[in-house]
Amino acid sequence: MEEFHNGNEGSFNQEEVDNSIKECIESVVGGDDYSQSLVNKWTAGIVERCLTQLVKQGKPYKYIVTCAVMQKTGAGLHTANSCYWDTTMDGSCTVRWENRTMYCVVSVFAVAIA
Amino acid sequence: MDDYQTEEESVEAAIGGNAYQHSRVNQWSTSVVEQCLSQLSKLGKPFKYIVTCIIMQKNGAGLQTASTCFWDNSTDGSCAVRWENKSMYCIVSVFGLAI
Repeated sequence: MEEFHNGNEGSFNQEEVDNSIKECIESVVGGDDYSQSLVNKWTAGIVERCLTQLVKQGKPYKYIVTCAVMQKTGAGLHTANSCYWDTTMDGSCTVRWENRTMYCVVSVFAVAIA
Repeated sequence: MDDYQTEEESVEAAIGGNAYQHSRVNQWSTSVVEQCLSQLSKLGKPFKYIVTCIIMQKNGAGLQTASTCFWDNSTDGSCAVRWENKSMYCIVSVFGLAI
């Protein structure tokens, strides 16, 4: 979906969140190959870590973090998001990561608290 | 929940009888989220909504999704629908946050 453009300093910082997410993914699945028995733990670990980092920032937001991990076998995967919110205050960020055996797509949605 | 039916109907209407096609999947996922969102906003409730859709071709690959939310448990909620046909899976999630 379209990029979130935001001129407001104190609100959603897309770049910072982007980097934060990448670090979280790397730390959970960094050097691993896709494993069906572990993937459950990985997705849970990734979303929890991302959320913890976001909440630490102490900004007045509610957060939703989603993560999809897919094994690389040549299948097609497509994701889409649509949001009905306050475009001046709310924002999202999606990171696509991959290694030799899997893809990982993480999305963060931040909704301002009034 | 009303949302569940809304989501299922939207998916069925957008991609119902089709087989997975790389050239059209972009259009389908967009259409699914847009239809879901417009149905939800028609409900007229004081909520902000986030709708996500994942469409995956069936070829034996493993897919795992997870989501976690930091919100107000008493007023906010989510709903996920898993739909499939012979050639693809479609997972739609709706998150509703009270204003």
